[in-house]
Amino acid sequence: MTLTITAGREQTRARYPDEHGHVERDGVRLFWERYGDGEPTILLLPTWEIVHSRFWKGQIPYLARHTRVVTFDPRGNGRSDRPQGFEAYRRREFAADALAVLDAAGVDRAVVVTWCDMGEALILAAEHPERVAGLVFIGPSLRLDEPDHGQYPFDADPGTGEGWAKETRGYWLRDWPGYVEFFFAQCLTEPHSTKQIEDCVGWAGDTDMETILDGFRGWETKIIDPVEVAALCPRVRCPVLVIHGTEDAQVGPSVGAALADELGGRLVLLEGAGHAPHARDPVKVNQMVASFAGIGPAPAPRTWTRALRRPRRALYLSSPIGLGHARRDLAIAQELRALVPGLEIDWLAQDPVTRVLEAEGERIHPASAWLANESTHIERESAEHDLHAFQAIRRMDEILVANFMVFHDVVREQPYDLWVGDEAWELDYFLHENPEQKRAAYAWLTDFVGWLPMPDGGDREAFLTADYNAEMIEHIARFPRLRDRAVFVGNPDDIVADRFGPGLPPIREWVEGHYDFAGYVTGFDPAGVGDREELRRRLGYRPDEQVCVVTVGGSGVGGHLLRRVIAAYPEAGRLVPGLRMVVVAGPRIDPASLPVHDGLEVHAYVHGLYQHLAASDLAVVQGGLTTCMELTAAGRPFLYFPLAHHFEQNFHVHHRLRRYNAGRRMDFATATPEVIAAAIAQEIGRPVDYRPVETDGAARAARLLAELL
Amino acid sequence: MTTRATSERRRPPEQTRARHPDAEGFVERGGVRVFWERHGDGEPTLLLLPAWSIIHSRQWKAQVPYLARRYRVLTFDGRGNGRSDRPAGAGAYDDGQYVADALAVLDATGTRRAVLVGLSRGGRWAVELAAARPERVLGAALIDPALPFMAPLPREQGYPFEEELDSTEGWAKFNRHYWLREYRDFLEFFASQAFSEPHSTKQIEDMVGWGLETSPETLVATQLGAQPASREEVEAVLRRVRCPVLVVHGDGDRVRPHAVGAAVAELTGGALVTVEGGGHCPQARHPVRINLLLREFVESLGGMAR
Amino acid sequence: MRAREPDADGYVDRGGVKLHWARAADAVLDATGTDRAVLVSLSMGAMWALWLMANRPERVLGSVFIGASVPLGPGYDDRQQPFEEPYTSTEGWARYNRHYWLDHDRDFLGFFFSRCFTEPHSTKPVADSVGWGLETSPEVLIAESHAPWPEEATLRGWGAAGRCPVLVVHGDDDRISPLRRGAALAEASGGALVVLEGAGHIPLARDPVKVNLLLREFVEGLPARSGP
Repeated sequence: MTLTITAGREQTRARYPDEHGHVERDGVRLFWERYGDGEPTILLLPTWEIVHSRFWKGQIPYLARHTRVVTFDPRGNGRSDRPQGFEAYRRREFAADALAVLDAAGVDRAVVVTWCDMGEALILAAEHPERVAGLVFIGPSLRLDEPDHGQYPFDADPGTGEGWAKETRGYWLRDWPGYVEFFFAQCLTEPHSTKQIEDCVGWAGDTDMETILDGFRGWETKIIDPVEVAALCPRVRCPVLVIHGTEDAQVGPSVGAALADELGGRLVLLEGAGHAPHARDPVKVNQMVASFAGIGPAPAPRTWTRALRRPRRALYLSSPIGLGHARRDLAIAQELRALVPGLEIDWLAQDPVTRVLEAEGERIHPASAWLANESTHIERESAEHDLHAFQAIRRMDEILVANFMVFHDVVREQPYDLWVGDEAWELDYFLHENPEQKRAAYAWLTDFVGWLPMPDGGDREAFLTADYNAEMIEHIARFPRLRDRAVFVGNPDDIVADRFGPGLPPIREWVEGHYDFAGYVTGFDPAGVGDREELRRRLGYRPDEQVCVVTVGGSGVGGHLLRRVIAAYPEAGRLVPGLRMVVVAGPRIDPASLPVHDGLEVHAYVHGLYQHLAASDLAVVQGGLTTCMELTAAGRPFLYFPLAHHFEQNFHVHHRLRRYNAGRRMDFATATPEVIAAAIAQEIGRPVDYRPVETDGAARAARLLAELL
Repeated sequence: MTTRATSERRRPPEQTRARHPDAEGFVERGGVRVFWERHGDGEPTLLLLPAWSIIHSRQWKAQVPYLARRYRVLTFDGRGNGRSDRPAGAGAYDDGQYVADALAVLDATGTRRAVLVGLSRGGRWAVELAAARPERVLGAALIDPALPFMAPLPREQGYPFEEELDSTEGWAKFNRHYWLREYRDFLEFFASQAFSEPHSTKQIEDMVGWGLETSPETLVATQLGAQPASREEVEAVLRRVRCPVLVVHGDGDRVRPHAVGAAVAELTGGALVTVEGGGHCPQARHPVRINLLLREFVESLGGMAR
Repeated sequence: MRAREPDADGYVDRGGVKLHWARAADAVLDATGTDRAVLVSLSMGAMWALWLMANRPERVLGSVFIGASVPLGPGYDDRQQPFEEPYTSTEGWARYNRHYWLDHDRDFLGFFFSRCFTEPHSTKPVADSVGWGLETSPEVLIAESHAPWPEEATLRGWGAAGRCPVLVVHGDDDRISPLRRGAALAEASGGALVVLEGAGHIPLARDPVKVNLLLREFVEGLPARSGP
């Protein structure tokens, strides 16, 4: 008998055993390992000796965190002995080996988990019920109908070396590695299973063909026969779980189903899984085993707090469409905390807002992970520099309801004093449709009011926008106190001159009657930016450089604009001596996807971009409100390109910028690189005369909210 | 003859889903393939049935993400729309076919028992399935169920389906000849009847869009499939239902009056929830309310669902 | 009001364990023709509920424990006072003494319930409870106290033997039975634990809305009740 040492080739384990040893039974030494402590013990059985205990590596670290886990190498592989002769590899021997290991490890009873059981687990549970607390079969090959003959008789010579013809003695003798590769590819049929297949082939390499051949004469004699299965099943008393992949190419799921039925056990079919789900879907299998065995972290006790004991808490929802809302909401939140000491704020938010929040140490409610992604939707709705914002919102209806339901789950469990929604459409809409769900003070913030049709939308679009506006007006008229506060981020003059629609009120008049005005909320104090020259020094911009910052904010839609401006760079560089162009791709555009030019700088996400804008000689931006207003507040010249069909950028933002006398509007459709280069040359470094942007917006908004607490 | 789904070519780009399926597939029965999706893997399983083939499984888009966070949710496209086949001939659209398709989807997904949720015609099929195969059904939630003979239909709906008509106004559009001539106009009309609530433009648009994914010929066939023949027959089926039943019905429903839902609740011994001001498809127009009602219903089935 | 004479055999089970109320519950179910029920227990009622769960499992659909007072792990130190000897102090828990009960019945009740209701503004529940306490007599309370509590191991055994769903509701300001005992009970019985922050020993009186909602939620989450 030879003992093969496997050390030296094994990859780093996630967990090493706390105890190990050899136990000898009938002259055969078996190597076992014990991990962790606790009850119940989980015994992870070996399977066909072509692999050894390492095949449970996906299970051991997780289970061992919660309970005691015992594994052992099968006779014929790993660090166990290699006895000779067919009889030595009967499944009954493996069952007896398992008992010996349990004794050696000091384990009285265990939950037994087995992969591709060929009889050893069933024998153990039927003949030693006092040692088996439960039984989990993964992809069992125990049949109740006919024995498994395999496709070819093992001793046949099929005349081909293809497919299952490899599972013949002749082929093994000729090309054992070829068979091993083939066999495990049949175990792991899921796409991208290369690592799992590699691992299994490696473990087969820890033993040798002769040993495996010794114990194999075809499946019908390797697996216990149906008569024996039928005789053993009734003697199994413990709870049983059978896990089987529906795409199992080794043993069809009907086998597992029949076994579960016969044993009165529970069957779980894993759709799309192959023969080795414990390797390919370890998380799922781990959870099922843990749940079956009754282990795992105890569910946290639910807590309810008496009313007068509760701290003041606010739940803040900040729209993820662009980064603008996040900046101003952070500023408002900080002011709010100053006004209401001890106020705790939870944010229900998603990418890219969460990046800004996390960078400032804010608490993101864990349920945020359940939110369906809005930014991805917006990006999908976009074409080349074109986003029909109104239609995009309409086609976001299921995302909005899904996200309202997440919000509902959160507030059902957790009482808050105040809900704040900054353009949180799902919250505002569904609250007005389900007003009985209101359970806290609620404040709504927005920087625009009124859906407006694009001219080329014709009568249909005019009708739809009017319909949406009418619904909103009716909601507010019917439930005037649902919004305890409606805050317009801006001033009355910022409101467009349109009506909500035919027969509907003028927007400005209605807003003045239904909103409080906070003035614009910049999200930063421009004075805090300090001296421009000092700032430029700090950011690494030299006095003689003409710095042009190109950014599309947090949008994923700006790729085309970035490319168009980058295309203008060479000509702009000729027109503007000392031009330094800095392109900021933002959190949702991969900078590596943008063209490369000598001297052109391309960055990914920059935290504190407003400083670079404040330091620049010219900014080139999309038509989003926040970035344009940052530039207006900083008194910097800028070119802005509203997205085609984007009513908010084309009407609301444009109207506001005109009031501040800020920026130069560009038309993407007609702005060739030459046109852009010329505009850059004309605007860069030009002195401007903008209306000053108020700096106390965040404080005013916060005061409006604080009154509700 | 069976037509494979042609919607792959004709379908306009679908708006972004809030949740994508965890598994999907086809099950074939008698040469007709039916497309199903599974979302989530909690317990119990909910089978959201199709309704009349003027729409397909996307009718449940406001329910799936919420329910799938807790339960295992199955949907399938009814034969005649979506990604399911559009077999020819009225016989292919008998009630029994849809019921058998539902069972086939349960079998194909390894689902022993499920809570059925059915809208309109889907409510009828839910009732038949619950009566015929009680061991597969944990409970049935019926939304504006369309069971024949339960209450008089509104007078304005009283036009024959097969004859050529003089009028083309109102419910006279619910006519096979009109469908073949002015299909889109019929869809707009029917959707506006189904969504009688104000400000339902998006829901109406959705329904028309889904209606355009099938053909007027197919829709005609779905109207000619076998249905229950008498009130006695329907009552007998309803009385055979043993599982817990919830009926939700809008009192503004212009397609099937509220009295139908009330009768169904009474004959099945189920609970009745009235959506005041609600039309025929509250799961789309009042999704939050419906989501919460469904959750409450499933939770009330308690441990029996395990 | 007629005082009942203490009768050791009548109140105490042959095994010497406080089981009379458990058996009484059984009898009440019979008398009211009730096949199965959800048990809701307060304080030491937990023991009787546990007995029923273990010994009459077929009658128990589920069990809710509120402010469970069970010797699973240590209680409060300041309650370890002599009970049988004449009292040497009239402060605090020294009042939990048979002689004090006979001498100063009302005062003891006032003290005891002020420990049960530590929440501010609890005058009404305290007054109610003192009133109910005055409807019995110190002699009865003394007789009852003679029966020893079941052992911890016994209680754990009952908890583990129970097969029904369990909910444990416990205030984190419970000065009679510490929260850790409620947690231990949840663990021993495989039940869920709901902690009421700021609540004392008898939250069903002081936070009735919350307790009502928890009870309803629990009952509605049970496997199907009676029926075909």
